[in-house]
Amino acid sequence: MINIEEYKDPQHHIETSKFLNPKKLYLPLSQHTGKPSIACVKRGDMVEEAAQIAESSAFISTNLHAPKKGKILNIDTWFHPNLKKSEAIFMDCLDQESNYQTRGNIESLKKEELIDIIKNNGIVGLGGAAFPTYVKLSPPKEIDTFIINGCECEPYLACDYRLMKENLNEIFIGIEIINKIIQPKKIIFAIEENKRDILEKIKSLMVNKKYNLPSIEIAVLKTAYPQGGEKQLIYATTKRKVAGGKLPFDTGCLVHNVATLFAIYEAIYLNKPLIERLVSFAGDSLVSPKNVWVKIGTTLKEIFDQKILKFKDSPKKIICGGPMMGVSLNKLDYPILKGTGGFLFLNKEISEVEESPCIRCGRCLDSCPMNLMPLEYAKRIKVEEYDRLEEYNINDCMECGCCTYTCPSKIPIVQYIKVGKKYLPTSS
Amino acid sequence: MNYELRTTNLIISNSPHLKTKMTTPYIMRHVVYALIPAAIASVFFFKYRAIFLILNCVLSSVLTEEVVLRMRKQPSTVKDVSAALTGLLLALILPPSIKWYAASLGSIFAILVGKQIFGGLGVNILNPALIGRAFLMAAYPKMLTTFISPFTIDTISSATPLALRKFSQTITPTIDLFLGNISGSLGETSAICLIIGGLYLLIRKIADWRIPLCVIFTTILISTIFYFINPINGSVFFHLFSGGLLIGVFFMATDPVTTPVTKKGRYIFGVGVAAFIMIIRYFGGLPEGTMYAILFFNALTPLINRYTKPRRFE
Repeated sequence: MINIEEYKDPQHHIETSKFLNPKKLYLPLSQHTGKPSIACVKRGDMVEEAAQIAESSAFISTNLHAPKKGKILNIDTWFHPNLKKSEAIFMDCLDQESNYQTRGNIESLKKEELIDIIKNNGIVGLGGAAFPTYVKLSPPKEIDTFIINGCECEPYLACDYRLMKENLNEIFIGIEIINKIIQPKKIIFAIEENKRDILEKIKSLMVNKKYNLPSIEIAVLKTAYPQGGEKQLIYATTKRKVAGGKLPFDTGCLVHNVATLFAIYEAIYLNKPLIERLVSFAGDSLVSPKNVWVKIGTTLKEIFDQKILKFKDSPKKIICGGPMMGVSLNKLDYPILKGTGGFLFLNKEISEVEESPCIRCGRCLDSCPMNLMPLEYAKRIKVEEYDRLEEYNINDCMECGCCTYTCPSKIPIVQYIKVGKKYLPTSS
Repeated sequence: MNYELRTTNLIISNSPHLKTKMTTPYIMRHVVYALIPAAIASVFFFKYRAIFLILNCVLSSVLTEEVVLRMRKQPSTVKDVSAALTGLLLALILPPSIKWYAASLGSIFAILVGKQIFGGLGVNILNPALIGRAFLMAAYPKMLTTFISPFTIDTISSATPLALRKFSQTITPTIDLFLGNISGSLGETSAICLIIGGLYLLIRKIADWRIPLCVIFTTILISTIFYFINPINGSVFFHLFSGGLLIGVFFMATDPVTTPVTKKGRYIFGVGVAAFIMIIRYFGGLPEGTMYAILFFNALTPLINRYTKPRRFE
């Protein structure tokens, strides 16, 4: 764990705005962990807002819906922040608002029906990994602890904070739904110390007893990175460790991000699929950093063309995601995906100090949340020595970037680790 | 004003995109800063000898590093301050009356054999400054064991407190050890100055606290026991403040390159170094053992690292 400057100002305390009228949308079929979805529309089709346009293709996959009413222009390859290029559905949108009606008799919905609605509406984890939510809700083992992740430990990003600030009621309804589905023994709401005002709001909501919930334990964690990582969060709140290669349910825990809970609320109550999300736009190259509700598939280019954002100077780096795990981009044509929490436009904070020899200071070791020895990986992978990496548990590494952040020699350790993982000798 | 984005200027690189402002030269520079009190004290006690010795060692070290790097066709590393630091450290652990050629030779040896032969910064196994001193100890044993009193111009030899304890059973007053009004190596006499520098390193998080604290606690423990056995063994403060213990603990045993990277390894290193120092002081033929204790554990460091791998997160 490391302490990093947060850089959450000013987007932290600016009210969210909306940009829900894009002209064009580019919807990659691979926006989630797992197999890409399969398009179920063809060129020239007219689709209504919220109509399904691609369907789940495997157990770990999900559906995709039209974020706006419009015409399918094409299905072709388009830029993708993580994959560089991937198959995507191109859409031309009509400037029309859609209304969502509250679903009746929600009380009578059964567990399986709730999971089905979540599955059909294409809900994935909105914390970054975009893992299909319904899979997490039907675990092969009993879940006794449900943890709500409100940490948002990456610097700059503030969309989860703003969502908790403005839509805590809806998040609580989401908690209610999950509670009904998995019936855990314990519910823990985890936030970092730097979000104390949310703590008060949660307490007052709990006093009201408006929600059909058992008592929720609030865990105030120290502000550190990567406090919001699933494994770190489970350890910090329950002292249970999710070992390398294991999944959270192995320890009886289920973690959901607050934004996912909001999406679950919308799916169940409004029958609204996951077609828009709150995204942080931040960094010192923007005139006014802010959090904006945008349609999935909107490109950065369109956001700038519509003057939703303006550059103050020319950024040195554009990053999709947080500064610790995000991907740097080379153009503005990239679309917003379901799992995109933010875009950063950085100039002054980017310093490219040249790499120098490792002085074995051990800072990478001290900072590693998974108790690894990052310097060993860098040393070995540099000379293409891949055979003993597994002895040092290289696959436990989640590439959080703490080691590289703290390295005084500016060695791109995470980059070496990524290479090393690809060249591991195939063991039986 | 509206800026147009020029995508050709965009940097594409792997995450993380934020990095700490701490760099290797920053660390080295701050170790030099931490040595300033001890260096000033040495000039106060040993006058021009101190100035000449420090300049001599620093220049010889930096020059040697430059020449070797030219020969190896490697880029210059003067800016990373590590060679200058080695020179400064070496000067501070040599007797003030050492001849200039011996000091230069020691610096050359420190950089050449202590560091560059292994491949330069980061890959040497033993502390270069201590290697330089160990070499001089073998090459000029007389010069390296002849010390002068502070504030003297002539070379009238005077025994160090540790030698006085060992060979004539005389214990130097603690206050003299604390302030540095004793004979000894150039920068190791004043305990207070070294403590100030050491605390600076720990507070600025330049050095890890584990090794210094372990050495100090172990020394306190062992010397207390031996003091109660026989007071002539020297008190706790006598052992903490005399000889090279403090400069060794704060500035040599915290050299990241030659000490363990693991937390557990650092505890082992600290306890081991202190135990070795005390064994040499009590039972060895030499009055002081900091140099050999640290060098010995430097050599053990790769082994310590290997057997103290952090426990897997599971």
